[in-house]
Amino acid sequence: MASAIEIAIEIKQLTKVYDGKVNALDGVDLTVKAADIFALLGPNGSGKTTLMRLLTTQFRPTAGVARAFGYDVVKDDAKVRKIIGYVPQEMSVWTDITGFENLLIYAKIYGVPSGQRKKSIWDALQSMGLDEVANGPVKKYSGGMIRRLEIACALLIKPRILFLDEPTLGLDPSARKAVWENLRSFKKEYGTTVFFNTHYMDEADLYSDEVAIINRGKIVKFGTASELKHSLHSEIISFSLADPGTDFKHPSTAAAPPRMLPGILERIKALNFVEDAAFNDSVLDVVVEDGEIALPAIIEVLRCDGILLDRIRSTRPTLDDVFLKYAGMRQPKTQGEVLHEASGIRQ
Amino acid sequence: MAFNDSLREMFAMIELEMRRLRHDRTEIYTRAVQPILWLAVYGTVMSHVRDIPTNGIPYIDYITPGVLLQSTIFVSVFYGLTIVWERETGILKRLLVAPASRYATVIGRAIASGVRAVVQALIIFPVAILLGVKFIPNPLYILAAFLMLFMISGGFAALSIFVASLMKTRERFMGIGQAMIMPLFFASNALYPISLMPPFLQSIAFVNPLTYAVDAVRGLMISGNVANVPADFVAVIVFDILIFTVASISFRKIIE
Repeated sequence: MASAIEIAIEIKQLTKVYDGKVNALDGVDLTVKAADIFALLGPNGSGKTTLMRLLTTQFRPTAGVARAFGYDVVKDDAKVRKIIGYVPQEMSVWTDITGFENLLIYAKIYGVPSGQRKKSIWDALQSMGLDEVANGPVKKYSGGMIRRLEIACALLIKPRILFLDEPTLGLDPSARKAVWENLRSFKKEYGTTVFFNTHYMDEADLYSDEVAIINRGKIVKFGTASELKHSLHSEIISFSLADPGTDFKHPSTAAAPPRMLPGILERIKALNFVEDAAFNDSVLDVVVEDGEIALPAIIEVLRCDGILLDRIRSTRPTLDDVFLKYAGMRQPKTQGEVLHEASGIRQ
Repeated sequence: MAFNDSLREMFAMIELEMRRLRHDRTEIYTRAVQPILWLAVYGTVMSHVRDIPTNGIPYIDYITPGVLLQSTIFVSVFYGLTIVWERETGILKRLLVAPASRYATVIGRAIASGVRAVVQALIIFPVAILLGVKFIPNPLYILAAFLMLFMISGGFAALSIFVASLMKTRERFMGIGQAMIMPLFFASNALYPISLMPPFLQSIAFVNPLTYAVDAVRGLMISGNVANVPADFVAVIVFDILIFTVASISFRKIIE
């Protein structure tokens, strides 16, 4: 009983067709665990905003089912609206009144009892770090402050699920950090499930528990950020070989590259964990699944051949690479292309 | 429950409008300039033309109800612009995700616009007195006249929201708004009796809700002839119910 994981959002075969022809969503299946921070990544026009608008009951799916804590977003839409908070991509506060007044209007719309109203508003303002500017007109706020105010409006009712559509779009790094730090501490306190859309990979990487990549209306990849990165299994280890022309000469190195390298390459490629290897200039690139295991073995091979190393650098795939692979327009690749692609990762 | 949610949203929308008004009153004052000019300039000049049959009422007094209504309806007819703006930003999306039903948003906003119109009229009212317009000193009549003003303004605001839900962009909306306002004003009894109009215009004036509103306000404030007032109220109530319904139904379209 205690071990059962509560499901916040459950989506099955969700489809949305616009004007009878454009498949904005094409059979989406997705499960989001309660109290998780969930990131939906996708290129522009991939369907992520459509998915969020369906989940927030703004319009109806063409087919399929979506539930928020068991409530169907079509049949129980009124109930869904009571447990969710939503911040659209575009600015969504009234700028000609104060921040406090914005929250006050929302508190009244949501029917926060008048006895608790003030406290709820100040709690929300404080959780977003806006208590000092609350009584100033919103038109004088910075972009980051407006975003935090919008989130504060959504947090007012302590929603069970908070939907954020591109929450930090157009914000500078420090404003983005402020938004996320406030969100995280709020989530910690209230156990809110956060579902956000973004195309900032670093944000998904840093702040999300799980990530899904959507492309052309379909979920193409799902997992934790590190699972996704591992799924590329293409860490590259670059060995810069010591220049044989330097004053400090090892008896065997002078003659080593490039003549002897083909043989070494064969031996390195033959290693268990190595996927591919290539030699450019004086750099040996090796593509491996797990560098920590592969590195000692490769060094051993190089040593046996008496090759001196200048430097070793390891490059792990970022979520950007994962995104490009699954949401880019690339074709499935052959084994021989692995290295080619892997070396592209570093650029 | 759902009804309570909707009622709350309506009141919240009215409060929002009042708070906006409090933060920036310039609009109310600048909007008062035009009707005052109508009375002070047009009214004064035209009162020398003695051919307009006003039943012995001075011409400025005769047009005061029309000008009062025109100025408030102008606010209402362009109220849809606020909705278009809120559609372009994320405010509407957000309101639609709130627990209240969609008609609450429409009706709440339309009523809010009506309240704004009343505030607007309250600015022009004393100026009209200063210009020598003689109102019937019956507080009940004045109150009823303001009620009519509120109802017709709310109705036109709903009409404006309806147009906004079809037009969706500022430019198209402005075009329609401009095209609506002048015929509305001239094809009514605001400036002259309907009997002076050619038959074609008369039939437009007959279905123009503004005609009934002007007739009621003129009866209550100026002429004291209130025989038609109940019928006028019925006409405006029918208009309000119709347009509130149509606007609420079409409102769904605005976010799609």
